[in-house]
Amino acid sequence: MRFKFSILALLLEVSIIVLFGIFVEYNEHSASETLYPVFQDVHVMIFVGFGFLMTFLKKYGFSSVGINMLIAALGLQWGTLIQGFLHRKGEKIHVDIKSMINADFSTAAALISFGAVLGKTSPLQMLILTVVEVQLFSKNCFLFITNATDVGASMTIHAFGAYFGLAVTLVLYRPGLKNKHENEESTYHSDIFAMIGTLFLWLFWPSFNSAIASEPIYQLKAIVNTYYSLAACTVVTFALSSLVDQRGKFSMVLIQNATLAGGVAVGTCADMPIHPFVAMCIGSMAGIISVLGFHFLTPFLASKLNIQDTCGVHNLHGLPGILGGIAGIVVTAIKDEARQGDRFSPGMQAAALGSTLGIALVGGALTGGILKLPFLGQASDQNCFDDSVYWEVPEEEKLQEIHANNYDGPSRFEATM
Amino acid sequence: MPSKYRNFRNSVPWILLFLEVVLIILFYFLFSDNDAPVSTIYPAFQDVNHMVIFGFGFFLTFLKRYGFSSTGFNLLIIVLGVQCSVLIEDSLGLLLHKREDEDAAVSMTAVVISTGAVLGKANPVQLILMAVVEIIAFHMSRWINTTFLEVLMMHVHLFGAYFGLAVSSHFSEPSPRTEKNASTPKSDLLSMLGTLFLWVFWPSFNSVLLENNKTKAIYNTYFALAVSAVTAFVLSLLTAKDGKFRMTDIHSAVLAGGVTIGYAANIIEYPWIAMILGLLASGIAVLGSYCLQRCLHPALKIHDTSGIHFTFGLSSVLGALAQVVLLVLKEWTESPRLHYLVMIPIGAFCLTISVALITGFIIGLIVNLKLFKTTPVSKYFEDQFYWEFPHLAVGF
Repeated sequence: MRFKFSILALLLEVSIIVLFGIFVEYNEHSASETLYPVFQDVHVMIFVGFGFLMTFLKKYGFSSVGINMLIAALGLQWGTLIQGFLHRKGEKIHVDIKSMINADFSTAAALISFGAVLGKTSPLQMLILTVVEVQLFSKNCFLFITNATDVGASMTIHAFGAYFGLAVTLVLYRPGLKNKHENEESTYHSDIFAMIGTLFLWLFWPSFNSAIASEPIYQLKAIVNTYYSLAACTVVTFALSSLVDQRGKFSMVLIQNATLAGGVAVGTCADMPIHPFVAMCIGSMAGIISVLGFHFLTPFLASKLNIQDTCGVHNLHGLPGILGGIAGIVVTAIKDEARQGDRFSPGMQAAALGSTLGIALVGGALTGGILKLPFLGQASDQNCFDDSVYWEVPEEEKLQEIHANNYDGPSRFEATM
Repeated sequence: MPSKYRNFRNSVPWILLFLEVVLIILFYFLFSDNDAPVSTIYPAFQDVNHMVIFGFGFFLTFLKRYGFSSTGFNLLIIVLGVQCSVLIEDSLGLLLHKREDEDAAVSMTAVVISTGAVLGKANPVQLILMAVVEIIAFHMSRWINTTFLEVLMMHVHLFGAYFGLAVSSHFSEPSPRTEKNASTPKSDLLSMLGTLFLWVFWPSFNSVLLENNKTKAIYNTYFALAVSAVTAFVLSLLTAKDGKFRMTDIHSAVLAGGVTIGYAANIIEYPWIAMILGLLASGIAVLGSYCLQRCLHPALKIHDTSGIHFTFGLSSVLGALAQVVLLVLKEWTESPRLHYLVMIPIGAFCLTISVALITGFIIGLIVNLKLFKTTPVSKYFEDQFYWEFPHLAVGF
């Protein structure tokens, strides 16, 4: 793994730098400077939010945060290039804050897919997945950029990332993990760490959904709608979490994930003049399907359809993403909405949703096939969900040791010297 | 029992109260109301605050039994230092532009970096004294740079790193067999949280004080950091013995790109230059940690707890070098003024580093006097020395 990974990563990095040297220039006269605070929020979500959301596994924290950072750092450079090539006018690619936001967005799709295969892939496989997925993501976005609206990227990022990841994990199916792996569970501390990620995602989600809105008035609408949708979703999640449990207790997995579904689902129609109460309805619905998905669908997928979805991205990003797409179809059918002269039609919205799902599933299956190649160093079934395969992990401290040390005679004697 | 341990009840509260009263009085006399409108810079100011207080606070929590002190003392030192810093700037009257708050937060970075070198070895009294003196020394060096050499560069990382190393050379080395100078998976993850915050907000840090070319600084920092993150993973894997990633390398090397690019962020015209600098910075940080910890530090008897020398020190040296090279390449045609142009940044660099080393050395001598109740070597890296532990109160 050592040399294969290093050589591939260095090669990618060097070729990206060379391509940047040939094609990329700064856009000096861009008016996007006011977007900078929004960009910072999105940046926090990608690196801190997604990174820590995945730290819930008891022995996989380093990889969750570390590989998350690796994917995002590589993906944003690659995304800048690919999106630049697709949108460029003339020879050169011009970079400004807006393209930085879009680059961060393109990594989000790869990170969601990482959630689906978490613990079962090597860093080398993740490099390849990132490069392929960012490319497909950018192509898919480019297909319907003028004809359909998706301001908060419910379809293009969330549904795309989730179904891509599910297709990959289906192809990489490991029969050895059918009975739960001993490390595929959380501890008290790892759940708290995951909650850090949830909170940062939750806090900055309004920025995420409004970042690429075309005008300030739409940006404001997107912020307000997302805010209320998230709030409603959180309340509903707590209620349902208690309801589906036998003894009426809350489940931390649901609180970590399903509370965010409202932000995903409202994404597509966030900047349209829907009343906040509609946003709250969408949020509540997202909460309901997400909780029910975690409770009933994920076990079903794992046992019957051989889809092992570690983080449950299907319930957090997949289903709410589709819900967002459907909400977009309904809203464009009821209201006449237009941006920059183009009128949105429900037909185009439906086509966008369909093309996203199609490209994601086919692309994911093909990528899974590539990742299955034997020389990519896939870990064996026993080594899944374990940091120590790829990281130097320090020893865990036992609580007894601390107590024992307190009574430790000699060290206290030294202290007085 | 309590008598066996050093008690700070008689020193720390009184020093802090005294300092605070002095600061309040000085603020009353020296400060005038600033009627400037709420600037558009506020979001960037918040970002820098996140970095310095949240980011550095958690960046330093990697020691397994020193988490309380890392974040707690970090906060204490920053709030104290920011007040001092505002006051010094105002009384020196050297800054014509009215931007004290961001300035103060940025210059506090120097102090926070220095505390990284003595992390776990210095007690609160020593830290407070070090912070106050360092902020004064930093502003002096900066004042000399701006008035005589007309260099507006801050040199925060450079100053902080070498000041910290000079101070650290006076503390006795912890015994190599101590178990406490190590991390656990949990403390490493917390430290990663801080690192990520530093990483994410670094573009704001590099651009907040600039008058023009702000966006260019943002773009350059963004790309340099991304490259340095990828390179950190590659090099960490290559230098490790058994071909595994090392968390300490990742912590330090991903940030090196931001430090390096800080010197030239507003003058670099193309992203690929910034990206190459990011790559080199990350390389120098990983290789530096590999070489320094084996050869240089044992020879000089310096113990650098959180590796600030290669994270901030070496990468800022690289940044200063890059700045000079870029300047030469840019002004190549104007040969008569070239010498002059090159000498000024080099002069400022040398001045900053020597002021940092000299004052750091003197402060290191002073704070290690018996008067300050230095922490015994066996009690290094130990929270229980300074904090109450409700759940472990047995025997204390």
